[in-house]
Amino acid sequence: MINRLPVSIVMQLLLVLFSLSISPIIIAGDELNCALCHKHRGLSRINNEGEFRLFYINQELFESGPHRRNKCKDCHTDIDRIPHNPAKPVDCTQMCHVVEPSGNKKFSHKSVANFLEKSAHGKLDKNGNPKPHQEDYPSCKSCHDQPFYRPFSIYKGKKIAGISERAISRCKSCHTSGDFAEDFYEHVTTRLHKSRYSVETIEVCAKCHQDEGFRKRHKLDDVITSYKETFHGKLVILGSEKTPDCIDCHVVAGENTHLIESQDSATSASHKNNVSTTCRTSECHSSAGPMLASFQTHVTYDRLKYPMQFYMLLGFKALMAIVLYFFLTLIFFELLRRLFPKFSFFKEKKIDDYDDILNEIKAESGSTSNTDKSSQNKSPDNAQSLEDIVRGKKD
Amino acid sequence: MMKKRYQPIVYKNGKRYFYRFSAHQRVQHVILFTSVITLALTGFPLRHAEEAWAKPLYYLMGGPDIAPLIHRAAGTVLLGLFIYHTIYWMVGFYKNHIVKLKQNNELTIANFFREVLSMEMVPNKKDLLDIIHLWKYLLYFTNRPPRHERMSWREKFDYFAPYWGIPILGPAGAALWWRDEISHIMPGWVLNAAYIMHTDEALLAVLFLFFVHWYNVHYSPEKFPAATVWLTGYLNEHDMIHEHYNEYVRVMIECGFEDDIKPQNFGGEEYEW
Repeated sequence: MINRLPVSIVMQLLLVLFSLSISPIIIAGDELNCALCHKHRGLSRINNEGEFRLFYINQELFESGPHRRNKCKDCHTDIDRIPHNPAKPVDCTQMCHVVEPSGNKKFSHKSVANFLEKSAHGKLDKNGNPKPHQEDYPSCKSCHDQPFYRPFSIYKGKKIAGISERAISRCKSCHTSGDFAEDFYEHVTTRLHKSRYSVETIEVCAKCHQDEGFRKRHKLDDVITSYKETFHGKLVILGSEKTPDCIDCHVVAGENTHLIESQDSATSASHKNNVSTTCRTSECHSSAGPMLASFQTHVTYDRLKYPMQFYMLLGFKALMAIVLYFFLTLIFFELLRRLFPKFSFFKEKKIDDYDDILNEIKAESGSTSNTDKSSQNKSPDNAQSLEDIVRGKKD
Repeated sequence: MMKKRYQPIVYKNGKRYFYRFSAHQRVQHVILFTSVITLALTGFPLRHAEEAWAKPLYYLMGGPDIAPLIHRAAGTVLLGLFIYHTIYWMVGFYKNHIVKLKQNNELTIANFFREVLSMEMVPNKKDLLDIIHLWKYLLYFTNRPPRHERMSWREKFDYFAPYWGIPILGPAGAALWWRDEISHIMPGWVLNAAYIMHTDEALLAVLFLFFVHWYNVHYSPEKFPAATVWLTGYLNEHDMIHEHYNEYVRVMIECGFEDDIKPQNFGGEEYEW
């Protein structure tokens, strides 16, 4: 809608809005005061391709992310005037203006990108030729939307989410600027555990790997659904942080997370020669034997690929169907029978007769007892005589 | 087996009650259903982790850290009970059947098997005939429901359900419990098999108990809201006539109440159970 309004009116409106609002949070690296415009929720336009683009920066989210110390221009390098000229998409591998304190060098994500290029997710094959369906291969932002810091503190053996005031007080004794201490604390402790919850990791992978068109193009199984069938997947869904997600098994222990290789690659964590090592890392099945490797993790119940599972499942479902249908049909007809209890197509005349039972008893006891129905006429009503009779019979 | 201590018929408020289960057996049943319900409550939220009810129930049962411990403890109790019960009926069988044969010097293989088949939980030809008769009755081909002995075919099925379920569930559960240890002696795909055995047999067991067994003892109109025989060990005359007419007549004659024997359609309701 906005792009249909005369530009001057929009500008005037924006200016009024600017003058009325005072941002409660000032973005740390915002030297050029980009937030002046980009803090407004409605800041958006429809571009020439008809896509809706939102240019709003949520300052609270930005402040909790790992890039909060970066200046806008560190990443958006070619924006130099207002209104902006069409700009290139951000290239995460470029040198940014943050100086890395360990080596006094300008920082770049290039090394991470190199790992990605070598992995199954790289755009080029071994010979350097582009793989088919280039558009399916992920860039940084395909997996990394705005992540949050997940710092935690360990105090007296307890893990607590968030920044520990007790721990950071030690940093602050030298690093008098609180901001730096906090940033560094978060930077380090976030990397001491997984920066995402396992459920989120699975969602990230599922964006592509559960997409049917994608799976068909690359001839891949639905590994997300089969993972969710395992106890690993089920416990992760229930909120366990001790069970493995995709990354834990598909990255070699100690390797970079971005180096997820195809199971055909000899160095891959999921290569058939390496599976037993992967399962038996110190954190997981460390006391298991090497034969654990033949456990099948991504079972699709496909008849040809997983015949044992297919036929076992079929057997159990059939058994379940037989047992339950038999008894539930019985219950259904029993309830129906109650509707007309007296009705019957064929009536048995001697319904109150139990001669057959008497004959059976006679046959069993060798006709010693006189159990002829008509000749008997005793009715012991008090309990004493009843007991005597029972005892007499038993003895 | 321990029948001698119990009166076949007792009176309460002027009504007859018929002996069914000894205290020993009733305690075993309580342990059985307590452990099975505990196993279901700690197991099924995991089996159906993606359902909305799973997470709250799982955390009520202790969450990913505690619920598996409870599940394994309950499984151990159930397996222990299973072994105990097997020894229990074997000892009873020896005392009541084998000793008698020995005394009469009649202990042959043929006699031994005859005695095995005469045990009250063993299915026999009459059970098959009763099932056929029941269908005749349910489809309105006869107005007389089947006459069951002390244990009807349904009770026998209920009794043997754990005997087929626990040998599947127990070893599979143990394999999944000691998955690391078992991988030294068995290949990993055994755990794939154990997983299917454990989860699907459990589903069958729980569905059977919930729909069929609980219909028999809870939902069916004459039992609702709950049968009491599992608590008292004695069944009232009305239910005894409908569920075990042969046994009813037998006990009434044995106790000398032959003239008080009521017809099978006593109460005007000609249904079974």
